[in-house]
Amino acid sequence: MRGRLASEWLTVRVQFVLAAFFVLAGIAKIADPPGFAHEIHNYGLVPGKLVNAMALILPWLEVITGVGLFLGIARRSAARLLGILLIVFIVALGINLARKKPVDCGCFGTAKVQKTDAERLKDMKLVILRDVGLLLLAGQILYATKREERI
Amino acid sequence: MDAFLFVAAAVLAALFSNAFAGTERRLKWIGSYERGAAPTGVGPGVAKPTPGPEAVVTPSLGAPAGAKAFPPHPDKASADISGEDVMELHARKTVPFLDARRTSVYRDGHIAGARPFSVWESDVDEKVKAYFAEGTDQSAPIVVYCSGGNCEDSHMLAEKLYLVGFDNVLIYKDGYPDWIQRGLPVTKGSEP
Repeated sequence: MRGRLASEWLTVRVQFVLAAFFVLAGIAKIADPPGFAHEIHNYGLVPGKLVNAMALILPWLEVITGVGLFLGIARRSAARLLGILLIVFIVALGINLARKKPVDCGCFGTAKVQKTDAERLKDMKLVILRDVGLLLLAGQILYATKREERI
Repeated sequence: MDAFLFVAAAVLAALFSNAFAGTERRLKWIGSYERGAAPTGVGPGVAKPTPGPEAVVTPSLGAPAGAKAFPPHPDKASADISGEDVMELHARKTVPFLDARRTSVYRDGHIAGARPFSVWESDVDEKVKAYFAEGTDQSAPIVVYCSGGNCEDSHMLAEKLYLVGFDNVLIYKDGYPDWIQRGLPVTKGSEP
């Protein structure tokens, strides 16, 4: 079981899925930084002065790290970085869910369809589940590439 | 070390991408979405421009006799008003309407006569400054709206206007969806 989990065959496919997700999500946000800044502001967790810088840098970080992971460039660092981002997203959504404050995820840019508060809260739970799944993928890459760790 | 390179590359890419972005896509690196973030060069302590005769709008101008009064509220940035109040103010044809939603959404349809003032775009402070420079009566009603519901854009724009001296900003609390539901006049495109 452990051997299969750490197999290169599986790792390459996991890399592809995780990389594709982040590259697509990043490109959607790069297309509309003000829209993404709006979404970040809605979370109510980032100081107003930092909202724009985050909206500008985060999507590029997703794309560049995703491309790095796809090409196998420093894949451990890439998986670790994407894992950290996923933890941040899960915590941010979790805090707003605990506050019962409905927010659009903003994961793929601004939502085109106006949703009700109940729909948003339901979506937030699903997004957390999805992000936990993606976090497991990042974990698989880190597990399978332990030997690549530099000393 | 590799993680640092990823972050550095992302910062560089963001710098280039933002530098070459158009007005609607560009962002200022330091956000101004907090209370007290007034556009620089205008506001209390800065000499008000002398209003031109055409630019002055008094609170009563265009209001029929016996119409509801909307007095200034210098103690707070904005006051919420209902759809009925908005209809009455719109009918006066002298009350400015400002749309705080994104410009792309504005183009898809906006309240007839409303001007685009998206708080999320890089030129909003310049628009507020230009509006101030028009010499409009700062105590006359101004209606600001966004998408209703949880939308905070109109409150953010109201805050900016208040901080430069406009003390009668009225927020259409149910926003554009309510206007549409009422079947009231809308305009599509970039022009008010």
